Amino acid sequence: MNERDAALWWARIRSGGPQQVSAGGPTPAGLRRLVEADAKAVWLIPNLPDSAGPAVLIEYGVPGSSMMDSKGTLRVLAATLRCCWPDPATDPWPGLPASTGHVGEVLRRLVPGRNKVSRQQLLSAGLRRLSVSGWVLLEATDTVRIGPRIASFGSLELSTLRELWRLIPDTPEDRSEGS
Amino acid sequence: MNRPNSIFEEVLGTLPDRQRELVEAAYALLEHGSGPVHRQFLPALSDATSRERLEELLRRTGRTLVTVDQLHFTSGFDDAVRTELTEMGWQPLSLADRAVLVLVLVHSVAIPRSEEQIAADSWESPYPTTLQDVTRDSKVPVGEVRAALGRLTSCGLLRTVRGGDHDSGYVPGPQLSRLTPAAREQLQDQLILAAAPDHPLAAAIRERRHNRVGGQR
Repeated sequence: MNERDAALWWARIRSGGPQQVSAGGPTPAGLRRLVEADAKAVWLIPNLPDSAGPAVLIEYGVPGSSMMDSKGTLRVLAATLRCCWPDPATDPWPGLPASTGHVGEVLRRLVPGRNKVSRQQLLSAGLRRLSVSGWVLLEATDTVRIGPRIASFGSLELSTLRELWRLIPDTPEDRSEGS
Repeated sequence: MNRPNSIFEEVLGTLPDRQRELVEAAYALLEHGSGPVHRQFLPALSDATSRERLEELLRRTGRTLVTVDQLHFTSGFDDAVRTELTEMGWQPLSLADRAVLVLVLVHSVAIPRSEEQIAADSWESPYPTTLQDVTRDSKVPVGEVRAALGRLTSCGLLRTVRGGDHDSGYVPGPQLSRLTPAAREQLQDQLILAAAPDHPLAAAIRERRHNRVGGQR
């Protein structure tokens, strides 16, 4: 693959998020392959050194394009990570699939005071927003996985994520739901 | 946990550590900053070798350095890459998202610009487009308009402004500052064709494009 083709792949990912390709193809320069659990497909994401990643912005005090949690979307992401990343000592990708019911149960502890209907709305709207940008993958109507974008976190961000993971209480999947 | 990046190694491998660090930091600030960055944060731009490597790094990753004004810089899509992807039919935005974005640009930029309220080459606007502006006479259903406005705002193509009853709404977002001069010109032409297809300016644009295509044959 030549320089121009690699640049096109970088631009596709920048504009359209992580790109899924068949497992047999070449890896464009500077990108990373994330192999799916069934090894039939791979996702391409940028392989940026930490020294050229978003963490540099904090060092320089320059604002980045952070996601606002005004609608509770980040809590939905946190709950998904808690369910789909069983062992924070490992890399989050590819993680394990979780039922949206399980994610909803964990979310219940993160948004105290919300009733069941409002929490359900938050969960489905949040998952939809997160799946558009590749933070989560919606498998079937009720199954969710970690999205390929999570794998682009640098080591600094991952250690923060691990600390947060430990703060989020897990909830058994099959517990009956109160409101 | 990331392995070495072959592009970064090839472009920056021969630089001394400190210089490499500054080029990588400049790349990060330009690429991940929410808007244009003041040059005081970009010492790599003041040194000819560093600047050349930075531009090479951007080019190899499909990007280019964009000068916003004397003091502020950002990065945007390389014009050649943008043209090639467009010709291949690449389009990450849905039809509804594009329709809503065009409507906001017409209300917040094209109309004020035609009244000479906004400079010819500027995509910043103090004139918000309201939800009613977008839904009035629109073929896009209200529910889809709301969802599209949310998506366009979260990816920075639009920005919300809050004010009194008449001043809140949507204006072009920080991503528009990443347009290269060529991309700005093309967007301006498209906007004229969309908003005033019968205007003499639109006829001139069609004529110019026709000649350009003819000239390439």
